[in-house]
Amino acid sequence: MKTLFNTSINALCCIIIISMFSCDSFVEVDLPKSQLTTPTVFEDYNTASAALLNIYSNIRDAGIFTGTAVGISNQLGNYADEIKSSESPTNSSLSFYKNTLLPANTVISGYWNAAYNQIYAANGIIEGSAASSNLTLDQKNQLQGEALFIRALVHFYLTNLFGDIPYITSTDYKENSTVSRKPVAEIYGKVTTDLENAILLLPVQYQGQERVRPNVLTAKALLARVYLYSKAYPEAANASSAVLNREELYHLESPDRTFLLNSNETIWQLQAGAAGRNTAEAATFTFISIPPPRVSLSSFLVDSFGAGDLRRSLWIKAVKKNTSTFYHAYKYKENNSTAVSKEYAIMFRLAEQYLIRAEARAYQGDLIGAKEDLNKVRHRAGLIATSAATQQEILDAIIIERKWELFTEYGHRFFDLKRKAKLDIVLSGIKPGWNTTDNLLPIPQSEFSANPFLGSQNPGY
Amino acid sequence: MNNFSFYKDGKGLYCLFFIWLCFSFSSVYAKTTVRHSTIFTQQHQIQGTITDGLNPLPGVTITVKSRLNSSTISDYSGQYTLFSAPNDTLIVSFIGFKTALIPIKSRTNIDIQLLYDITTLQEVKINAGYYSVKESERTGSIARITSKDIETQPVTNILATMQGRMAGVSITQATGVPGGGFDIKIRGQNSIRTDANAPLYIIDGVPYSSEPVGSFYTGTTFPTLTSPLNSINPDAIESIEILKDADATSIYGSRGANGVVLITTKKGKAGKTKFTVTASTGTGTVTKFIKLMNTQEYLDMRRQAFINDGISEYGISDYDINGTWDQNRYTDWQKELLGGTAQITDLHASVSGGSQNTQFLVSGSYHTESTVFAGDFLYRKGGSQINLNHQSEDNKFKMTFSAGFNRQDNNQPSFDFTYDARALPPNAPALYNSDGELNWENGTWDNPLRNLNTEFESATNDLTANTTLTYELAKGLSVKSNLGYTLLHNDETRIVPSTIYNPANNVSSAGSAIFLNNTDRSSWIIEPQINWKKDLGKSNLDILLGATFQSQKSQSLVQSGTGFASNNLIYNLAAAKNVRVLNNDQTQYKYQAFFGRINYNLKERYIINLTARRDGSSRFGPGNQFAYFGAAGLAWIFSNENLLKDSSWLSFGKIRSSYGTTGNDQIGDYQFLDTYTTSSVLYGGNTGLSPSRLYNADFGWETNKKFEAALELGFFQDRIFVTGAWYQNRSSNQLVGLSLPGTTGFTSIQSNLDAVVENSGLEFTLRTSNFVKGNFTWITNLNLTFANNKLVRFPGLESSAYSQQYRIGKPLNIALLYDLKGVNPQTGLYEFEDLNGDGSITFPEDRQAMADLNPKYFGGIQNQLTYKGITLDFLFQLVKQKNRTYPMGPAGMMSNQQQRITGSWREQNDIAPYQIYTTGYNDDAMTASYLLDESTGSVTDASFVRLKNISLSYNLPLSLKETQCKIMLQGQNLLTFTKYKDGDPEFLSYGFLPPLKVITAGIQLIF
Repeated sequence: MKTLFNTSINALCCIIIISMFSCDSFVEVDLPKSQLTTPTVFEDYNTASAALLNIYSNIRDAGIFTGTAVGISNQLGNYADEIKSSESPTNSSLSFYKNTLLPANTVISGYWNAAYNQIYAANGIIEGSAASSNLTLDQKNQLQGEALFIRALVHFYLTNLFGDIPYITSTDYKENSTVSRKPVAEIYGKVTTDLENAILLLPVQYQGQERVRPNVLTAKALLARVYLYSKAYPEAANASSAVLNREELYHLESPDRTFLLNSNETIWQLQAGAAGRNTAEAATFTFISIPPPRVSLSSFLVDSFGAGDLRRSLWIKAVKKNTSTFYHAYKYKENNSTAVSKEYAIMFRLAEQYLIRAEARAYQGDLIGAKEDLNKVRHRAGLIATSAATQQEILDAIIIERKWELFTEYGHRFFDLKRKAKLDIVLSGIKPGWNTTDNLLPIPQSEFSANPFLGSQNPGY
Repeated sequence: MNNFSFYKDGKGLYCLFFIWLCFSFSSVYAKTTVRHSTIFTQQHQIQGTITDGLNPLPGVTITVKSRLNSSTISDYSGQYTLFSAPNDTLIVSFIGFKTALIPIKSRTNIDIQLLYDITTLQEVKINAGYYSVKESERTGSIARITSKDIETQPVTNILATMQGRMAGVSITQATGVPGGGFDIKIRGQNSIRTDANAPLYIIDGVPYSSEPVGSFYTGTTFPTLTSPLNSINPDAIESIEILKDADATSIYGSRGANGVVLITTKKGKAGKTKFTVTASTGTGTVTKFIKLMNTQEYLDMRRQAFINDGISEYGISDYDINGTWDQNRYTDWQKELLGGTAQITDLHASVSGGSQNTQFLVSGSYHTESTVFAGDFLYRKGGSQINLNHQSEDNKFKMTFSAGFNRQDNNQPSFDFTYDARALPPNAPALYNSDGELNWENGTWDNPLRNLNTEFESATNDLTANTTLTYELAKGLSVKSNLGYTLLHNDETRIVPSTIYNPANNVSSAGSAIFLNNTDRSSWIIEPQINWKKDLGKSNLDILLGATFQSQKSQSLVQSGTGFASNNLIYNLAAAKNVRVLNNDQTQYKYQAFFGRINYNLKERYIINLTARRDGSSRFGPGNQFAYFGAAGLAWIFSNENLLKDSSWLSFGKIRSSYGTTGNDQIGDYQFLDTYTTSSVLYGGNTGLSPSRLYNADFGWETNKKFEAALELGFFQDRIFVTGAWYQNRSSNQLVGLSLPGTTGFTSIQSNLDAVVENSGLEFTLRTSNFVKGNFTWITNLNLTFANNKLVRFPGLESSAYSQQYRIGKPLNIALLYDLKGVNPQTGLYEFEDLNGDGSITFPEDRQAMADLNPKYFGGIQNQLTYKGITLDFLFQLVKQKNRTYPMGPAGMMSNQQQRITGSWREQNDIAPYQIYTTGYNDDAMTASYLLDESTGSVTDASFVRLKNISLSYNLPLSLKETQCKIMLQGQNLLTFTKYKDGDPEFLSYGFLPPLKVITAGIQLIF
């Protein structure tokens, strides 16, 4: 027994002495197994891709582009003349319909925060892949190309919604919390640069079977729109031609097939969350009983279609009860899950590229070319060739055509009216709450209190 | 699965009895030790029984005056035998009793009755964690309850045993469903983050993580996540000490900010092998229902609502009033759904004993509790506890081993029926058809009992083991090491079978779902220590140095499975069409510290106690991992001064004070790292990785500075003993989610902010021995706490996410409310104060009225009366507080209301306390009703006085010498006196079952 005691004393003494002198490295823990640190994520292409894909699911589910009721497809439809709201008075989106937005609106802060969160994630991809030592050059190009595209896309929409905004290119929160608003022209310049860089990095072929990750032509399609919005018509025509010339990839489909998953008109679409799921847009816009639970299409839109327009008969559905009739957008038809997914939300499609080139050509004086492109879209809708003859007539016809073709898709109608300076002309008559300063959304009020360097609120708020 | 359960049909109980039988044969061994002293044969043998006037007293030391080195100890039946010279004197001493000097006077049979000595309560050694201290000499603030108070309570959670018994400790029960949790705050809320205010729990020296083990996907029965604390078995506990001030907690450094709960399990005592078997059974029912409308009042309200809204035709779905449902039918849904009786049974058995050198205790327990809900649900808990002490012949080496293993099996509906019971229209249809099937009344209602099919099952295994080795190197110098290990495993499932849906919806088992959660947690700790005690003549010096190394690993996996071929396969995840991992988390926490204590005691009058700790934790960023904490405590026992020493009235007097720092590291693991976490949203079935948070290396401790001053006075041999303490704790460097501009990609970052929260208060305890004479004693204990909580500083509060939650200078637990003016007699609508005068009630401008939801004061008063073998012990708990009324929604819709709502506004110029009924079409009334729930009208006095615990026990006067039999009657929450109208006033969140009223009867056998 005695020896046992002695042993234990010695052991105890040892423990105490060791512990007194042991270094502080004891509290260094292994990196968490269930979470990956940034360098680990970019050690492997699969995890790096997972981080990238997460941005797309985020784009699909939250913020500006989501197909749920808070996304701009619905809200800017309310805000302009496409949609009539029947939401309850407490719903924060009713103020879009009434054009009575306040800086505290949660949908607005949702746009802002989700957008910059998506930009943060994209910057994380750019920084992480650049620092990676394991990824191949091709893999880095793919990741960075897509991330640059995302960064450009989100900033492009932000500047069109909010005007002057900060352009964020790093993940450093200390730097990003003291940024200031930059003029729209500067944002356009940076969006263009990012897209040009993305075009250098991205391949033509899609990753995987479905067109759910942007390729180089998606970047060009966005670039064509950016040039159009910034009135750089030759460049816009060139960029859209680059897409339109890829006839082996893209062609216009008949209106009943346009929004299907395998449509060859699709340039880039957002994959559904799981096999069998379809779009959130279908749930947002369609209804089976009246009064409509959320929104219905406005008479300004429904009544404007010409006779025989297949888009009026195939992309819009009437719901009747007694004497009243309400219409809903019916581009996406599958409100529920199906055995196999049938529809994905389409972010970019070919018809828009025809209309971009038509407009760009018209501005450059190529009226024949412009009409040719415009008629491509009209013929597909079952309409005869346009009767517009002068440049102005053609330009006006294109804007109307865009209204019919692109309704309830990512705020096209609102942005068209805005870039053409027609918001006041079109909306003041039919929307009692409309003010000239409503061309910009208010920047979330919390931004100014959290960042004193940001600048001042948009006029009118 | 349950068919193989160890506890099924009480198999565990058989095992227990088997163990007990085994030990019972070995009692011969134990007996020999007591007779040890008979070697010293003398000419005169004396024997007798030692009692306290009634009960035999085991373990009493009997010494012969002329030969102080020979002594004996009374056995369990209080009997002793020794040899002595016939003219010698016996010295009979026992803790808690006055030492008696008995001249032998040649007698051979001396029965001795010892007198209680209340003064010696001051001699009790109090566990202070790394050291123990005599009650009279402690410099810190330590509250304590012992097994005597715990055993009188028919409860399963250790936090329940402390309710109302300790000053400064506020405990609220979250739900009456067995297996649910409690909220504990020791001296108030220190951290702005509401989930970072848990104290540190230490069981026999091993830190026990109280972090929740459940998941929100599975544990929907409870308002909070499953707390592991239910695993601790109150029967196995000897004492619970709560360390409150800096002097007591600073030695726990970064983990001591919210106080420390020290749990000590029962140990064996030398002497004859002792068997204790306790069995009890009882019932639990809901304490209080809300007074709701009956059918007539309800239908009257509905009709009026339609009239008010100007609707002449009832809608097709207004089944309650359009003739679909029987309008003469009345069901008291609270009685129907919550009015059941929970059956409670509890069995506890222990064997203890040992020699002078080795003592042991083995115990086992088994507890079952059903619910007050309809259906067959059961909570089962069983476990065993082993304690072993050994010391070498020369007393130099000591070893203590203790291990506890507990298992809980909980099966509950994954749904609390309380909400339904209050909301269902009183003329809603019958629950069952005549054939015994659930009645869906042609699809016109969602039968509440459909939720009986959504079962929640939880199984928790919990092991805590600890070994302490001590060796005395030289006189006064000893080395010690504490080695501990904990292991916890928790499995939870929740099923949502298609049978919960109305058959009219035609949901098949393809729509059934299961949610699973597994949590594993293990930790080890090593704490080597050196202790040096030196008697310097007039003074004593006690020095302790030690180190802590602790590591904890946790992992959890949350999964869901949906789409089954049949509901019979629902527990088989492999049979699910879609299986998803919702969360898979593995974390590691490492902690290291060095600590020390110097205690200097001069003439037992002046005591100084210095403690310090250097802590390192892996939870903080590089560079911020280490911090120092320390405290000084002073005490002056002025009653030991010569002037007062012989005072006839003042028996004890002490002033003590302490100041020091502690920290709080309850921030979760890896929060400083910018990691990517698996995202729960999918892109085409692929799991994404999303950035979890921003990188913040400057991530440090919350610091808590504590000050306390206290006075302790004893009068008339401490028959009146009063303590008063004032404390002020300030928590700074608060870890909060600082708001960031959205341009950073995140809206907040966890960061230290120079915000200060102050808790201050007064604590009083009073103990009076009202009557101690002969067979009758009456002792009263009272504790009372007045606590204040205040947010002293919060830079940038206006622009933070907390801007509409906190106010500078006000408590953290406030509600910001619209100010209700009353019902406008013209419009019949609630009206609120329009603070900014813009003509409409807007958030946040007009929601600025304030209500403090912290208790103003709380306490308890306990009386213990003993007459012969009868002991009556009862405790009243009192809480002065405000709380929210139960929100029933706008009156007039298809949902029942409190009966008082019948007094609503009906026509112009009515002066009524409640607004106009509406079926939901009156937008103004709907808005006003919504605002009411966020207004001063929703806060009411919820103070209560509650007969928290009553226990009556009777020791049967058996002629058997070594056998004791006690009959017990115990009650919990039996009476509640309150003005609060919406059910039980004790709750944390709406719509959950309140604490139950429990009555049990039991029997205890000791032999």
